[in-house]
Amino acid sequence: MTQRITIDPITRLEGHGKIEIFLDPDGNVANTYFQVPQLRGFEQFCVGRQVEEVPLLTNRICGVCPEAHHMAGAKAADAVYHVDPPSTAKKLRELLYSAFYVTDHTTHFYALAGPDFVMGPDAPVAERNILGVIHKVGLEIGGQVIQCRKNGHTVIEMIGGRKVHPCTSIPGGLTKGITEEQRQEIEKMGRWAIGFAQFSLKLFNDIVLGNKAYLDLILGDIYTHKTYYIGMVDENNKINFYDGKVSVVSPDGERIGKYGPGDYSEWIEEHVEPWTYLKFPYLKKVGWKGFVDGKDSGVYCATPLSRVNAADGMATPLAQEEYEKFFATLGGKPVHQRLATHWARLIELLYAAERWVELATDPEITSPKFHTIPTEKPTEGVGIVEAPRGTLTHHYWTDERGVTTKVNLIVGTTNNYAPISMSINKAASSLIKKGTVVSEGLLNMVEMAFRAYDPCLSCATHSLPGKMPLEVTIHDADGNPLEVLKQFVE
Amino acid sequence: MIAGNLEANGSPWNSRDSDLNSLLVIGLGNPILSDDGIGWRVAEEVQKALQLGPDGNREGAEIDFDYLALGGLSLMERMVGYSHAIVIDAIQTGLEPPGKVSIFLLEELPDYAQGRTTAVHETSLQTAIQVGQDLGAPLPDKIDIVTIEAEVLFDFSESLTPEVEAAIPEATRAVMNRIDQWKVDQKN
Repeated sequence: MTQRITIDPITRLEGHGKIEIFLDPDGNVANTYFQVPQLRGFEQFCVGRQVEEVPLLTNRICGVCPEAHHMAGAKAADAVYHVDPPSTAKKLRELLYSAFYVTDHTTHFYALAGPDFVMGPDAPVAERNILGVIHKVGLEIGGQVIQCRKNGHTVIEMIGGRKVHPCTSIPGGLTKGITEEQRQEIEKMGRWAIGFAQFSLKLFNDIVLGNKAYLDLILGDIYTHKTYYIGMVDENNKINFYDGKVSVVSPDGERIGKYGPGDYSEWIEEHVEPWTYLKFPYLKKVGWKGFVDGKDSGVYCATPLSRVNAADGMATPLAQEEYEKFFATLGGKPVHQRLATHWARLIELLYAAERWVELATDPEITSPKFHTIPTEKPTEGVGIVEAPRGTLTHHYWTDERGVTTKVNLIVGTTNNYAPISMSINKAASSLIKKGTVVSEGLLNMVEMAFRAYDPCLSCATHSLPGKMPLEVTIHDADGNPLEVLKQFVE
Repeated sequence: MIAGNLEANGSPWNSRDSDLNSLLVIGLGNPILSDDGIGWRVAEEVQKALQLGPDGNREGAEIDFDYLALGGLSLMERMVGYSHAIVIDAIQTGLEPPGKVSIFLLEELPDYAQGRTTAVHETSLQTAIQVGQDLGAPLPDKIDIVTIEAEVLFDFSESLTPEVEAAIPEATRAVMNRIDQWKVDQKN
């Protein structure tokens, strides 16, 4: 008789993912399935609208990273109108985006990663949350986390017009700029953010890297997959969140190419599995070989870890120092251990804070030239940014009036659906052995594999038919059906 | 610790001066996700009713409205500085018919509601409120939750399903009753 273990819901994550682990008669893991509830019809919802409205709609896909959708949408709308925004507009957008990154990465570390590492995977459930973290690291630090979020929201509101769902990006740039007084305030908050990011890295260093058990956990085989990695880089192959080309590196660390927004469809294709409507993107040039890692499998990853692997370094000095330490500590590039994603995220946090200050002190940033009026006939365009959770691609097609006829989105979390599924399976298989009691801590370690990716499920499931699969049959190694799953029924 | 070197930036909670006589009404949900938009619709109706009502919305006190698609820490942060909050949101228990209006205090909110009422990307609203309180945030003493059982929460649409739409007047009255009660409490 097959035993089924369900972890439901995956706590501390957007959406309601469900991990199903199937054990064989001996009590070992037979199969794992990771499913998410589907939000349906977003792409259809966007069709038939003025394209400049779409960046305002896409940021409503979910409440977690509206800024990323707004930016990818704005860049796609620029491309639809064949208009290049003035450099001030690009810098203001990137400044907003840097503040957003600082806010988002900080929240992730203290609310999601922190419970796993600061409290520990075996800590009681009641303490394994942000509340436990702030009581352990100190209420003063908790206050700094809130301060950091407040500062980020202030910058987003100054440039984006609203605290959470920015609305100022239009084809050709922005609807408003910033004053010198605002610039000074933004610069001051950015300098504070650098200190806070450095503190967060020190905390990680002290608590995680200073603990041999955690380091062994990170470096162990359980959370390791040798996949391809993608991430956006600037002209010097340094990480950039807002603009550039997407670098693709192999499991050996070799860069096999870079693609611009217009070429994404030559690089990325999507695989369909019968048990889920969420698709599995893979590298077209390598091909889909199933849920396996290695150089012959087109499975790739798009996360903070992927970005540091896919780039040659960080564009700011303090983050570059941390980048070098990261690879020196973890044994060179690329780093395949998924739990190192938490560390990579903190390096990105520092970079985002430094970039925030760089942009806030740029002489052009208060220029009134923040918009170029589009004059070309609208057609089709692609916009790519790095969302905190992975490369985000928006592709819009319009008629000659600029009314959308088709919309396609490949969101950060979707990129990682295959590697997430693989990580869950590997963690479960490694941690649940014959005779092992499945304790809460053990199950949490399965979830830890998942949380490293910080998947945002509500926007990963945007384009789906109106019906979910009714049942799925699991087969054993000989192809015999083991169990029919009916929990898919709505 | 490096934190000691961080420039003191004052209290992180000073975005709004705390007002002991203030009420925040929040329409919660995603306005383009079918029935998830019900919270906004009801909040709009309440706001209209107060503006049109004989006594306006002022009786020596303040009522603010906000329309949000947030949860957890972000939602908690929006409540800072208010003495009372009313959150209106869709809920999907599967135990009640679509359109069923329910009223809870936050602490009475059943576990099964947490997913819909709060985005759980970072933490639940209850935990976030606790975080805020532990960090000294001036948060509402009382948080009323008015929920409307939803039917469709996974399809993008600006329309509500008929049963949920039909619940708007009842939900609006429920919120108005809470507001009236709050006014009475203010006088006492």
